[in-house]
Amino acid sequence: MRTYLSVFRLRRRMETQYRGAMIGGIICQVMFGLILIALYRALYQNKPQAMPVGHVVTYVWLQQAFFRMLLASDPDLLDKIRTGGIAYDLCRPVNLYAFYYVRIMAQKITGSLMRAVPMLILAALLPEGWGISLPDSLPGLLLSLPALLLGLFCVTALENITMAFTMRTLDPRGIQALLNLLMMTLSGNILPLTLFPDSWQRVITLLPYAQLLDAPIRLYTGDVPPAAAGRILLIQALWTAALTGLGYWLWQRHQRRLVLQGG
Amino acid sequence: MKYIQVNGLRKTFTVRKKREKGRLLREREAVPALQDISFQIDRGELVGYIGPNGAGKSTTVKILSGILTPDSGEVLVEGRIPWKDRREHARRIGVVFGQRMQLWWDVPILDSYDLLKEIYLLPDADYRSRLKELTEALQLGSLLRTPLRQLSLGQRMRAELCGSLLHRPGLLFLDEPSIGLDAVSKLALRDFLKWENREHGTTVLLTTHDMEDVAALCSRVMVLGHGKKLYDGDLPTLLSRYDTVRTVTVRFEQPDILPELPGAAGISREGDLVRVEYSPQMIPTPDILQGLQQAGTIRELTIQPENIDYLIASMYREMEL
Repeated sequence: MRTYLSVFRLRRRMETQYRGAMIGGIICQVMFGLILIALYRALYQNKPQAMPVGHVVTYVWLQQAFFRMLLASDPDLLDKIRTGGIAYDLCRPVNLYAFYYVRIMAQKITGSLMRAVPMLILAALLPEGWGISLPDSLPGLLLSLPALLLGLFCVTALENITMAFTMRTLDPRGIQALLNLLMMTLSGNILPLTLFPDSWQRVITLLPYAQLLDAPIRLYTGDVPPAAAGRILLIQALWTAALTGLGYWLWQRHQRRLVLQGG
Repeated sequence: MKYIQVNGLRKTFTVRKKREKGRLLREREAVPALQDISFQIDRGELVGYIGPNGAGKSTTVKILSGILTPDSGEVLVEGRIPWKDRREHARRIGVVFGQRMQLWWDVPILDSYDLLKEIYLLPDADYRSRLKELTEALQLGSLLRTPLRQLSLGQRMRAELCGSLLHRPGLLFLDEPSIGLDAVSKLALRDFLKWENREHGTTVLLTTHDMEDVAALCSRVMVLGHGKKLYDGDLPTLLSRYDTVRTVTVRFEQPDILPELPGAAGISREGDLVRVEYSPQMIPTPDILQGLQQAGTIRELTIQPENIDYLIASMYREMEL
Protein backbone atom coordinates (compact mmCIF):
# COMPACT_ATOMS: atom_id res chain seq x y z
CA MET A 1 0.00 0.00 0.00
CA ARG A 2 2.82 2.33 1.00
CA THR A 3 4.38 1.74 -2.40
CA TYR A 4 1.30 2.63 -4.42
CA LEU A 5 0.60 5.69 -2.31
CA SER A 6 4.09 6.96 -3.08
CA VAL A 7 3.67 6.38 -6.80
CA PHE A 8 0.44 8.35 -6.57
CA ARG A 9 2.12 11.21 -4.72
CA LEU A 10 5.07 11.45 -7.08
CA ARG A 11 2.87 11.42 -10.18
CA ARG A 12 0.71 14.10 -8.58
CA ARG A 13 3.77 16.22 -7.94
CA MET A 14 4.92 15.78 -11.48
CA GLU A 15 1.56 16.90 -12.83
CA THR A 16 1.59 20.08 -10.78
CA GLN A 17 4.85 21.05 -12.45
CA TYR A 18 3.23 21.52 -15.82
CA ARG A 19 1.69 24.94 -15.15
CA GLY A 20 2.04 26.06 -18.74
CA ALA A 21 0.09 23.03 -19.90
CA MET A 22 -2.52 23.81 -17.28
CA ILE A 23 -3.01 27.41 -18.41
CA GLY A 24 -3.02 26.40 -22.07
CA GLY A 25 -5.53 23.66 -21.28
CA ILE A 26 -7.83 26.02 -19.42
CA ILE A 27 -7.82 28.57 -22.23
CA CYS A 28 -8.49 25.85 -24.79
CA GLN A 29 -11.30 24.30 -22.77
CA VAL A 30 -12.93 27.67 -22.03
CA MET A 31 -12.91 28.51 -25.73
CA PHE A 32 -14.42 25.15 -26.55
CA GLY A 33 -17.06 25.67 -23.86
CA LEU A 34 -18.01 29.11 -25.16
CA ILE A 35 -18.24 27.93 -28.75
CA LEU A 36 -20.35 24.91 -27.85
CA ILE A 37 -22.65 27.04 -25.69
CA ALA A 38 -23.05 29.65 -28.45
CA LEU A 39 -23.94 26.79 -30.78
CA TYR A 40 -26.55 25.32 -28.47
CA ARG A 41 -28.05 28.73 -27.71
CA ALA A 42 -28.45 29.35 -31.42
CA LEU A 43 -30.03 25.94 -31.80
CA TYR A 44 -32.45 26.61 -28.96
CA GLN A 45 -33.49 30.01 -30.35
CA ASN A 46 -34.82 28.34 -33.45
CA LYS A 47 -35.96 25.03 -32.05
CA PRO A 48 -36.15 24.64 -28.28
CA GLN A 49 -35.55 21.10 -27.04
CA ALA A 50 -37.21 19.21 -24.22
CA MET A 51 -34.13 19.69 -22.09
CA PRO A 52 -33.82 23.24 -20.66
CA VAL A 53 -30.94 25.21 -22.16
CA GLY A 54 -29.56 25.92 -18.69
CA HIS A 55 -28.98 22.19 -18.22
CA VAL A 56 -27.12 21.99 -21.50
CA VAL A 57 -24.88 24.92 -20.60
CA THR A 58 -24.10 23.39 -17.21
CA TYR A 59 -23.46 20.04 -18.89
CA VAL A 60 -21.00 21.62 -21.31
CA TRP A 61 -19.10 23.43 -18.57
CA LEU A 62 -18.76 20.35 -16.39
CA GLN A 63 -17.59 18.32 -19.38
CA GLN A 64 -15.01 20.93 -20.32
CA ALA A 65 -13.83 21.38 -16.73
CA PHE A 66 -13.14 17.68 -16.29
CA PHE A 67 -11.88 17.16 -19.83
CA ARG A 68 -8.47 16.15 -18.53
CA MET A 69 -10.03 13.22 -16.71
CA LEU A 70 -11.29 11.74 -19.96
CA LEU A 71 -8.82 12.54 -22.68
CA ALA A 72 -5.26 12.69 -21.50
CA SER A 73 -2.97 9.73 -21.57
CA ASP A 74 0.17 9.75 -19.53
CA PRO A 75 2.82 10.65 -22.12
CA ASP A 76 5.63 9.30 -19.95
CA LEU A 77 3.91 5.98 -19.57
CA LEU A 78 3.32 5.61 -23.31
CA ASP A 79 6.94 6.56 -23.96
CA LYS A 80 8.09 3.96 -21.50
CA ILE A 81 6.18 1.26 -23.31
CA ARG A 82 7.39 2.42 -26.70
CA THR A 83 11.04 2.75 -25.74
CA GLY A 84 11.18 -0.29 -23.49
CA GLY A 85 11.81 1.70 -20.32
CA ILE A 86 9.05 -0.47 -18.98
CA ALA A 87 11.71 -3.17 -18.50
CA TYR A 88 12.63 -1.39 -15.29
CA ASP A 89 9.06 -1.52 -14.01
CA LEU A 90 8.97 -5.24 -14.68
CA CYS A 91 12.01 -5.61 -12.44
CA ARG A 92 10.17 -4.12 -9.47
CA PRO A 93 8.61 -6.12 -6.69
CA VAL A 94 5.17 -4.65 -7.39
CA ASN A 95 1.88 -5.65 -8.89
CA LEU A 96 2.03 -3.98 -12.29
CA TYR A 97 -1.70 -3.42 -12.65
CA ALA A 98 -1.91 -1.55 -9.36
CA PHE A 99 1.36 0.24 -10.08
CA TYR A 100 0.00 1.75 -13.30
CA TYR A 101 -3.51 2.16 -11.95
CA VAL A 102 -2.45 4.58 -9.23
CA ARG A 103 -0.19 6.37 -11.65
CA ILE A 104 -2.96 6.94 -14.18
CA MET A 105 -5.38 7.91 -11.45
CA ALA A 106 -2.99 10.45 -9.93
CA GLN A 107 -2.60 12.14 -13.28
CA LYS A 108 -6.33 12.22 -13.89
CA ILE A 109 -7.24 13.58 -10.47
CA THR A 110 -4.50 16.17 -10.32
CA GLY A 111 -4.73 17.20 -13.93
CA SER A 112 -8.48 17.63 -13.90
CA LEU A 113 -8.74 19.31 -10.48
CA MET A 114 -6.04 21.82 -11.41
CA ARG A 115 -8.13 22.82 -14.39
CA ALA A 116 -11.65 22.24 -13.07
CA VAL A 117 -11.44 24.50 -10.03
CA PRO A 118 -10.46 27.74 -11.81
CA MET A 119 -12.69 26.90 -14.77
CA LEU A 120 -15.78 26.28 -12.67
CA ILE A 121 -15.23 29.51 -10.77
CA LEU A 122 -14.94 31.32 -14.08
CA ALA A 123 -18.02 29.57 -15.46
CA ALA A 124 -20.00 30.56 -12.36
CA LEU A 125 -19.14 34.22 -12.92
CA LEU A 126 -20.46 34.28 -16.48
CA PRO A 127 -23.85 35.97 -17.13
CA GLU A 128 -27.12 34.07 -16.91
CA GLY A 129 -27.59 31.68 -19.82
CA TRP A 130 -23.84 31.44 -20.44
CA GLY A 131 -22.57 30.36 -17.04
CA ILE A 132 -22.91 27.18 -15.01
CA SER A 133 -25.99 26.80 -12.82
CA LEU A 134 -26.08 25.69 -9.22
CA PRO A 135 -26.89 22.02 -8.64
CA ASP A 136 -30.54 21.16 -8.91
CA SER A 137 -30.78 20.05 -5.30
CA LEU A 138 -28.49 19.31 -2.37
CA PRO A 139 -29.11 15.54 -2.56
CA GLY A 140 -28.39 15.79 -6.29
CA LEU A 141 -25.02 17.41 -5.57
CA LEU A 142 -24.20 14.95 -2.80
CA LEU A 143 -25.02 11.99 -5.05
CA SER A 144 -23.03 13.36 -7.97
CA LEU A 145 -19.85 13.20 -5.90
CA PRO A 146 -19.73 9.41 -5.45
CA ALA A 147 -20.84 9.15 -9.07
CA LEU A 148 -17.85 11.29 -10.08
CA LEU A 149 -15.57 9.07 -8.02
CA LEU A 150 -16.95 5.94 -9.66
CA GLY A 151 -16.49 7.67 -13.00
CA LEU A 152 -12.86 8.24 -12.10
CA PHE A 153 -12.36 4.57 -11.19
CA CYS A 154 -14.05 3.60 -14.41
CA VAL A 155 -11.95 5.83 -16.66
CA THR A 156 -8.75 4.80 -14.91
CA ALA A 157 -9.58 1.14 -15.46
CA LEU A 158 -10.42 1.90 -19.08
CA GLU A 159 -7.10 3.62 -19.65
CA ASN A 160 -5.20 0.82 -17.98
CA ILE A 161 -6.77 -1.56 -20.49
CA THR A 162 -5.55 0.72 -23.29
CA MET A 163 -2.08 0.55 -21.75
CA ALA A 164 -2.24 -3.23 -21.68
CA PHE A 165 -3.11 -3.24 -25.38
CA THR A 166 -0.35 -0.77 -26.10
CA MET A 167 2.06 -3.25 -24.58
CA ARG A 168 1.14 -5.63 -27.36
CA THR A 169 0.99 -3.29 -30.30
CA LEU A 170 3.85 -1.08 -29.05
CA ASP A 171 2.60 1.95 -30.90
CA PRO A 172 -0.41 3.46 -29.20
CA ARG A 173 -1.34 5.96 -31.90
CA GLY A 174 -3.67 3.82 -33.98
CA ILE A 175 -5.78 2.45 -31.18
CA GLN A 176 -5.62 5.74 -29.33
CA ALA A 177 -7.15 7.66 -32.22
CA LEU A 178 -10.03 5.20 -32.37
CA LEU A 179 -10.56 5.17 -28.63
CA ASN A 180 -10.46 8.96 -28.46
CA LEU A 181 -13.18 9.16 -31.06
CA LEU A 182 -15.35 6.78 -29.06
CA MET A 183 -14.56 8.71 -25.91
CA MET A 184 -15.39 12.12 -27.39
CA THR A 185 -18.73 11.04 -28.80
CA LEU A 186 -19.99 8.47 -26.32
CA SER A 187 -18.98 10.27 -23.13
CA GLY A 188 -20.97 13.39 -24.04
CA ASN A 189 -17.92 15.56 -24.49
CA ILE A 190 -18.87 16.95 -27.92
CA LEU A 191 -22.62 16.58 -27.84
CA PRO A 192 -24.29 16.23 -24.44
CA LEU A 193 -25.74 12.73 -24.21
CA THR A 194 -28.92 14.34 -22.91
CA LEU A 195 -29.54 15.76 -26.40
CA PHE A 196 -29.41 12.38 -28.14
CA PRO A 197 -32.78 10.86 -29.16
CA ASP A 198 -34.35 9.03 -26.24
CA SER A 199 -34.08 5.63 -27.86
CA TRP A 200 -30.34 6.17 -28.43
CA GLN A 201 -29.87 7.39 -24.88
CA ARG A 202 -31.32 4.18 -23.47
CA VAL A 203 -28.43 2.28 -25.07
CA ILE A 204 -25.65 4.86 -24.82
CA THR A 205 -26.14 5.46 -21.11
CA LEU A 206 -25.49 1.77 -20.52
CA LEU A 207 -22.07 1.90 -22.21
CA PRO A 208 -18.94 2.42 -20.11
CA TYR A 209 -18.22 5.85 -21.61
CA ALA A 210 -21.45 7.25 -20.19
CA GLN A 211 -20.39 6.22 -16.69
CA LEU A 212 -17.45 8.62 -16.59
CA LEU A 213 -18.89 12.14 -16.57
CA ASP A 214 -22.39 11.86 -18.00
CA ALA A 215 -23.67 10.00 -14.94
CA PRO A 216 -22.45 12.50 -12.32
CA ILE A 217 -23.51 15.46 -14.47
CA ARG A 218 -27.07 14.14 -14.80
CA LEU A 219 -27.28 13.85 -11.04
CA TYR A 220 -25.91 17.38 -10.64
CA THR A 221 -28.35 18.97 -13.11
CA GLY A 222 -31.27 16.94 -11.78
CA ASP A 223 -31.83 15.31 -15.15
CA VAL A 224 -31.82 12.13 -13.11
CA PRO A 225 -33.71 12.77 -9.86
CA PRO A 226 -31.96 11.69 -6.63
CA ALA A 227 -34.59 8.97 -6.19
CA ALA A 228 -33.32 7.24 -9.35
CA ALA A 229 -29.64 7.62 -8.45
CA GLY A 230 -29.34 4.05 -7.18
CA ARG A 231 -29.66 2.61 -10.68
CA ILE A 232 -27.00 4.96 -12.06
CA LEU A 233 -24.55 4.21 -9.27
CA LEU A 234 -25.15 0.50 -9.69
CA ILE A 235 -24.42 0.59 -13.43
CA GLN A 236 -21.26 2.58 -12.70
CA ALA A 237 -20.14 0.12 -10.06
CA LEU A 238 -20.75 -2.85 -12.35
CA TRP A 239 -18.70 -1.30 -15.16
CA THR A 240 -15.93 -0.36 -12.76
CA ALA A 241 -15.73 -3.94 -11.53
CA ALA A 242 -15.84 -5.39 -15.05
CA LEU A 243 -13.23 -3.04 -16.51
CA THR A 244 -10.92 -3.43 -13.53
CA GLY A 245 -11.19 -7.20 -13.74
CA LEU A 246 -10.50 -7.25 -17.46
CA GLY A 247 -7.51 -4.92 -17.13
CA TYR A 248 -6.07 -6.92 -14.26
CA TRP A 249 -6.37 -10.13 -16.24
CA LEU A 250 -4.71 -8.57 -19.30
CA TRP A 251 -1.75 -7.32 -17.27
CA GLN A 252 -1.30 -10.66 -15.55
CA ARG A 253 -1.23 -12.33 -18.95
CA HIS A 254 1.28 -9.82 -20.29
CA GLN A 255 3.56 -10.25 -17.38
CA ARG A 256 4.02 -13.87 -18.34
CA ARG A 257 4.46 -13.54 -22.06
CA LEU A 258 6.03 -10.22 -22.65
CA VAL A 259 8.62 -9.60 -25.30
CA LEU A 260 10.87 -6.62 -24.95
CA GLN A 261 12.49 -5.71 -28.18
CA GLY A 262 16.04 -4.57 -28.71
CA GLY A 263 19.14 -4.72 -26.58
CA MET B 1 24.97 -25.22 -5.15
CA LYS B 2 26.22 -22.25 -7.13
CA TYR B 3 24.78 -18.76 -6.76
CA ILE B 4 23.55 -18.68 -10.33
CA GLN B 5 22.89 -21.87 -12.26
CA VAL B 6 21.87 -21.86 -15.89
CA ASN B 7 21.28 -25.09 -17.75
CA GLY B 8 20.32 -25.61 -21.36
CA LEU B 9 18.66 -22.24 -21.77
CA ARG B 10 16.78 -21.76 -25.03
CA LYS B 11 14.71 -18.92 -26.37
CA THR B 12 13.31 -18.36 -29.83
CA PHE B 13 11.56 -15.22 -30.96
CA THR B 14 8.97 -15.17 -33.68
CA VAL B 15 9.42 -12.30 -36.05
CA ARG B 16 6.86 -11.37 -38.64
CA LYS B 17 8.53 -10.76 -41.95
CA LYS B 18 7.56 -8.15 -44.46
CA ARG B 19 4.76 -9.38 -46.65
CA GLU B 20 6.01 -10.77 -49.93
CA LYS B 21 4.35 -9.91 -53.20
CA GLY B 22 1.47 -12.16 -54.12
CA ARG B 23 1.04 -13.52 -50.63
CA LEU B 24 -1.92 -12.72 -48.47
CA LEU B 25 -0.36 -13.14 -45.07
CA ARG B 26 2.95 -12.16 -43.67
CA GLU B 27 5.24 -15.05 -43.01
CA ARG B 28 6.58 -15.69 -39.59
CA GLU B 29 10.16 -16.52 -39.00
CA ALA B 30 11.63 -18.13 -35.93
CA VAL B 31 14.79 -16.39 -34.77
CA PRO B 32 16.71 -18.42 -32.24
CA ALA B 33 18.13 -16.00 -29.68
CA LEU B 34 19.59 -18.52 -27.24
CA GLN B 35 20.55 -22.06 -28.12
CA ASP B 36 21.44 -24.23 -25.21
CA ILE B 37 23.26 -21.83 -22.92
CA SER B 38 24.70 -23.16 -19.66
CA PHE B 39 26.91 -21.55 -17.06
CA GLN B 40 27.39 -21.11 -13.36
CA ILE B 41 28.39 -18.04 -11.43
CA ASP B 42 29.66 -17.90 -7.85
CA ARG B 43 28.63 -15.32 -5.32
CA GLY B 44 30.85 -12.24 -5.56
CA GLU B 45 32.11 -12.88 -9.08
CA LEU B 46 32.48 -10.08 -11.61
CA VAL B 47 31.66 -11.60 -14.97
CA GLY B 48 31.86 -9.91 -18.35
CA TYR B 49 29.32 -11.05 -20.90
CA ILE B 50 30.40 -10.10 -24.38
CA GLY B 51 29.46 -10.82 -27.96
CA PRO B 52 28.54 -8.97 -31.13
CA ASN B 53 25.23 -7.18 -31.55
CA GLY B 54 22.31 -9.56 -31.57
CA ALA B 55 24.22 -12.41 -29.94
CA GLY B 56 21.61 -12.91 -27.23
CA LYS B 57 23.26 -11.07 -24.36
CA SER B 58 20.29 -8.90 -23.48
CA THR B 59 17.96 -11.85 -23.83
CA THR B 60 19.98 -13.71 -21.22
CA VAL B 61 19.88 -10.72 -18.89
CA LYS B 62 16.14 -10.35 -19.35
CA ILE B 63 15.61 -14.01 -18.51
CA LEU B 64 17.90 -13.87 -15.51
CA SER B 65 16.14 -10.78 -14.22
CA GLY B 66 12.76 -12.45 -14.52
CA ILE B 67 11.10 -10.32 -17.18
CA LEU B 68 11.29 -12.88 -19.96
CA THR B 69 10.34 -16.54 -19.92
CA PRO B 70 12.64 -18.96 -21.77
CA ASP B 71 11.30 -21.70 -24.02
CA SER B 72 13.20 -24.34 -22.11
CA GLY B 73 16.09 -24.74 -19.75
CA GLU B 74 16.70 -24.19 -16.08
CA VAL B 75 17.67 -21.04 -14.27
CA LEU B 76 18.18 -20.85 -10.55
CA VAL B 77 19.36 -17.73 -8.80
CA GLU B 78 19.88 -18.39 -5.09
CA GLY B 79 17.41 -21.20 -5.58
CA ARG B 80 14.76 -18.99 -7.16
CA ILE B 81 13.35 -19.33 -10.65
CA PRO B 82 13.38 -15.70 -11.77
CA TRP B 83 10.26 -15.60 -13.96
CA LYS B 84 8.22 -17.69 -11.52
CA ASP B 85 9.09 -15.75 -8.37
CA ARG B 86 9.24 -12.46 -10.24
CA ARG B 87 8.38 -10.20 -7.31
CA GLU B 88 10.53 -11.93 -4.74
CA HIS B 89 13.38 -12.11 -7.24
CA ALA B 90 12.99 -8.43 -8.11
CA ARG B 91 13.52 -7.51 -4.48
CA ARG B 92 17.00 -9.08 -4.50
CA ILE B 93 18.43 -7.97 -7.82
CA GLY B 94 19.48 -4.67 -9.30
CA VAL B 95 19.38 -3.89 -12.99
CA VAL B 96 20.89 -1.13 -15.08
CA PHE B 97 19.81 -0.91 -18.69
CA GLY B 98 22.23 1.61 -20.16
CA GLN B 99 19.85 2.74 -22.86
CA ARG B 100 16.75 3.02 -20.77
CA MET B 101 15.67 5.20 -17.90
CA GLN B 102 14.21 4.31 -14.57
CA LEU B 103 14.31 7.67 -12.80
CA TRP B 104 11.51 10.14 -13.36
CA TRP B 105 12.31 12.73 -15.96
CA ASP B 106 10.68 15.84 -14.55
CA VAL B 107 11.31 15.56 -10.84
CA PRO B 108 14.48 15.88 -8.72
CA ILE B 109 16.36 12.59 -8.59
CA LEU B 110 15.96 12.48 -4.82
CA ASP B 111 12.20 12.15 -5.34
CA SER B 112 12.76 9.16 -7.59
CA TYR B 113 14.99 7.63 -4.91
CA ASP B 114 12.33 8.26 -2.26
CA LEU B 115 9.89 6.40 -4.47
CA LEU B 116 12.30 3.48 -4.88
CA LYS B 117 12.61 3.39 -1.11
CA GLU B 118 8.85 2.83 -0.91
CA ILE B 119 8.82 0.35 -3.78
CA TYR B 120 11.42 -1.81 -2.05
CA LEU B 121 9.95 -1.04 1.38
CA LEU B 122 13.31 0.02 2.80
CA PRO B 123 13.51 1.03 6.45
CA ASP B 124 14.29 4.74 6.97
CA ALA B 125 17.68 4.42 8.63
CA ASP B 126 18.86 1.79 6.19
CA TYR B 127 17.81 3.88 3.22
CA ARG B 128 19.50 6.99 4.54
CA SER B 129 22.83 5.35 5.24
CA ARG B 130 22.82 3.58 1.89
CA LEU B 131 21.90 6.76 0.03
CA LYS B 132 24.71 8.61 1.79
CA GLU B 133 27.16 5.87 0.92
CA LEU B 134 26.12 5.78 -2.73
CA THR B 135 25.93 9.52 -3.27
CA GLU B 136 29.44 9.85 -1.88
CA ALA B 137 30.85 7.05 -3.98
CA LEU B 138 29.11 8.26 -7.12
CA GLN B 139 29.57 11.98 -6.37
CA LEU B 140 25.90 12.75 -6.60
CA GLY B 141 25.50 14.83 -3.45
CA SER B 142 25.13 18.16 -5.21
CA LEU B 143 22.75 16.78 -7.83
CA LEU B 144 20.08 15.26 -5.61
CA ARG B 145 17.75 18.24 -5.93
CA THR B 146 18.20 18.55 -9.68
CA PRO B 147 15.55 17.17 -12.01
CA LEU B 148 16.84 14.32 -14.13
CA ARG B 149 16.21 16.22 -17.36
CA GLN B 150 18.87 18.76 -16.42
CA LEU B 151 21.65 16.23 -15.89
CA SER B 152 24.34 15.39 -18.41
CA LEU B 153 24.51 11.87 -19.76
CA GLY B 154 27.35 10.89 -17.42
CA GLN B 155 25.57 12.34 -14.41
CA ARG B 156 22.39 10.60 -15.41
CA MET B 157 24.16 7.27 -15.71
CA ARG B 158 25.61 7.65 -12.21
CA ALA B 159 22.19 8.64 -10.91
CA GLU B 160 20.60 5.59 -12.57
CA LEU B 161 23.25 3.33 -11.07
CA CYS B 162 22.58 4.73 -7.61
CA GLY B 163 18.86 4.05 -8.12
CA SER B 164 19.57 0.43 -9.01
CA LEU B 165 21.67 -0.16 -5.90
CA LEU B 166 19.62 1.55 -3.19
CA HIS B 167 18.00 -1.67 -2.07
CA ARG B 168 21.38 -3.40 -1.67
CA PRO B 169 20.89 -6.05 -4.35
CA GLY B 170 23.16 -9.07 -4.02
CA LEU B 171 23.17 -9.47 -7.77
CA LEU B 172 23.61 -6.69 -10.26
CA PHE B 173 22.95 -6.87 -14.00
CA LEU B 174 24.60 -4.14 -15.97
CA ASP B 175 23.55 -3.86 -19.59
CA GLU B 176 25.91 -1.41 -21.32
CA PRO B 177 26.33 0.88 -18.35
CA SER B 178 29.14 2.96 -19.81
CA ILE B 179 27.42 3.94 -23.04
CA GLY B 180 28.21 7.55 -23.89
CA LEU B 181 30.35 8.26 -20.83
CA ASP B 182 33.45 10.43 -20.96
CA ALA B 183 36.80 9.11 -19.75
CA VAL B 184 36.48 10.51 -16.26
CA SER B 185 32.97 9.17 -15.73
CA LYS B 186 33.97 5.83 -17.14
CA LEU B 187 36.90 5.48 -14.74
CA ALA B 188 34.72 6.63 -11.86
CA LEU B 189 32.13 4.03 -12.81
CA ARG B 190 34.77 1.27 -12.86
CA ASP B 191 36.17 2.31 -9.50
CA PHE B 192 32.71 2.37 -8.08
CA LEU B 193 31.81 -1.09 -9.36
CA LYS B 194 35.04 -2.55 -7.97
CA TRP B 195 34.35 -0.89 -4.65
CA GLU B 196 30.75 -2.13 -4.51
CA ASN B 197 31.90 -5.64 -5.36
CA ARG B 198 34.68 -5.63 -2.77
CA GLU B 199 32.73 -3.88 -0.03
CA HIS B 200 29.43 -5.75 -0.31
CA GLY B 201 30.33 -8.89 -2.21
CA THR B 202 27.87 -7.94 -4.93
CA THR B 203 27.84 -10.35 -7.84
CA VAL B 204 27.99 -8.49 -11.14
CA LEU B 205 27.13 -9.60 -14.64
CA LEU B 206 28.37 -6.94 -17.03
CA THR B 207 27.11 -6.88 -20.60
CA THR B 208 29.03 -4.49 -22.75
CA HIS B 209 30.89 -3.73 -25.95
CA ASP B 210 33.47 -1.72 -24.06
CA MET B 211 36.38 -4.13 -23.80
CA GLU B 212 38.38 -1.73 -21.64
CA ASP B 213 35.64 -2.01 -19.04
CA VAL B 214 35.74 -5.78 -19.20
CA ALA B 215 39.54 -5.84 -18.98
CA ALA B 216 39.53 -3.50 -15.98
CA LEU B 217 36.71 -5.16 -14.06
CA CYS B 218 36.09 -8.75 -14.92
CA SER B 219 38.10 -11.72 -13.77
CA ARG B 220 36.05 -13.86 -16.08
CA VAL B 221 34.44 -13.39 -19.46
CA MET B 222 31.84 -15.32 -21.35
CA VAL B 223 31.62 -14.86 -25.09
CA LEU B 224 28.27 -15.32 -26.76
CA GLY B 225 27.65 -15.55 -30.49
CA HIS B 226 24.57 -16.62 -32.44
CA GLY B 227 22.95 -17.65 -29.20
CA LYS B 228 25.75 -20.03 -28.22
CA LYS B 229 28.41 -19.77 -25.57
CA LEU B 230 31.77 -19.76 -27.32
CA TYR B 231 34.18 -19.07 -24.50
CA ASP B 232 34.16 -19.03 -20.73
CA GLY B 233 37.34 -18.16 -18.87
CA ASP B 234 39.73 -15.33 -18.16
CA LEU B 235 40.30 -12.50 -20.58
CA PRO B 236 44.14 -12.67 -21.00
CA THR B 237 43.94 -16.31 -22.08
CA LEU B 238 41.24 -15.45 -24.58
CA LEU B 239 43.15 -12.50 -25.96
CA SER B 240 46.49 -14.31 -26.24
CA ARG B 241 44.94 -16.49 -28.90
CA TYR B 242 44.34 -13.50 -31.12
CA ASP B 243 47.30 -11.41 -30.04
CA THR B 244 49.13 -11.71 -33.36
CA VAL B 245 50.47 -8.23 -33.96
CA ARG B 246 52.37 -5.92 -31.65
CA THR B 247 53.97 -2.62 -32.44
CA VAL B 248 57.22 -1.24 -31.02
CA THR B 249 57.86 2.44 -31.50
CA VAL B 250 61.44 3.61 -30.95
CA ARG B 251 63.23 6.95 -31.00
CA PHE B 252 67.02 6.58 -31.38
CA GLU B 253 69.68 9.12 -30.36
CA GLN B 254 70.91 9.07 -33.98
CA PRO B 255 68.09 10.24 -36.32
CA ASP B 256 68.62 8.06 -39.37
CA ILE B 257 68.83 4.48 -38.13
CA LEU B 258 66.67 1.79 -39.76
CA PRO B 259 67.41 -1.43 -37.89
CA GLU B 260 67.31 -4.84 -39.53
CA LEU B 261 65.25 -7.37 -37.60
CA PRO B 262 64.85 -10.78 -39.16
CA GLY B 263 61.37 -12.14 -38.34
CA ALA B 264 59.68 -8.77 -37.91
CA ALA B 265 56.56 -8.26 -39.98
CA GLY B 266 57.27 -4.69 -40.91
CA ILE B 267 59.72 -1.85 -40.23
CA SER B 268 59.05 1.72 -41.15
CA ARG B 269 60.28 5.19 -40.28
CA GLU B 270 58.29 8.38 -39.87
CA GLY B 271 60.50 11.34 -39.05
CA ASP B 272 62.73 10.20 -36.20
CA LEU B 273 60.30 7.50 -35.07
CA VAL B 274 60.89 3.89 -36.06
CA ARG B 275 57.91 1.59 -35.98
CA VAL B 276 58.38 -2.19 -35.87
CA GLU B 277 55.50 -4.62 -36.19
CA TYR B 278 55.99 -8.21 -35.15
CA SER B 279 54.13 -11.25 -33.99
CA PRO B 280 55.09 -12.48 -30.52
CA GLN B 281 54.45 -16.05 -31.67
CA MET B 282 56.99 -15.69 -34.50
CA ILE B 283 59.69 -13.78 -32.65
CA PRO B 284 59.86 -13.27 -28.87
CA THR B 285 59.76 -9.71 -27.59
CA PRO B 286 63.25 -9.89 -25.91
CA ASP B 287 64.80 -10.74 -29.30
CA ILE B 288 63.20 -7.66 -30.86
CA LEU B 289 64.50 -5.48 -28.03
CA GLN B 290 67.97 -6.92 -28.33
CA GLY B 291 68.02 -6.25 -32.07
CA LEU B 292 67.00 -2.65 -31.52
CA GLN B 293 69.65 -2.05 -28.86
CA GLN B 294 72.32 -3.34 -31.19
CA ALA B 295 71.17 -0.95 -33.90
CA GLY B 296 71.70 2.21 -31.89
CA THR B 297 71.24 4.08 -28.61
CA ILE B 298 67.59 4.08 -27.67
CA ARG B 299 66.17 7.32 -26.29
CA GLU B 300 62.55 6.23 -25.99
CA LEU B 301 60.60 3.03 -26.57
CA THR B 302 56.99 1.84 -26.27
CA ILE B 303 55.47 -1.57 -26.95
CA GLN B 304 51.81 -1.68 -27.81
CA PRO B 305 49.71 -4.79 -28.00
CA GLU B 306 47.10 -4.61 -30.66
CA ASN B 307 44.08 -2.59 -29.66
CA ILE B 308 41.73 -4.76 -27.68
CA ASP B 309 38.85 -3.93 -30.00
CA TYR B 310 40.87 -5.26 -32.93
CA LEU B 311 41.56 -8.45 -31.01
CA ILE B 312 37.89 -8.91 -30.29
CA ALA B 313 37.00 -8.09 -33.88
CA SER B 314 39.42 -10.72 -35.16
CA MET B 315 38.03 -13.16 -32.63
CA TYR B 316 34.47 -12.51 -33.84
CA ARG B 317 35.69 -12.91 -37.42
CA GLU B 318 37.35 -16.20 -36.69
CA MET B 319 34.27 -17.48 -34.87
CA GLU B 320 32.27 -16.31 -37.88
CA LEU B 321 30.01 -14.08 -35.87
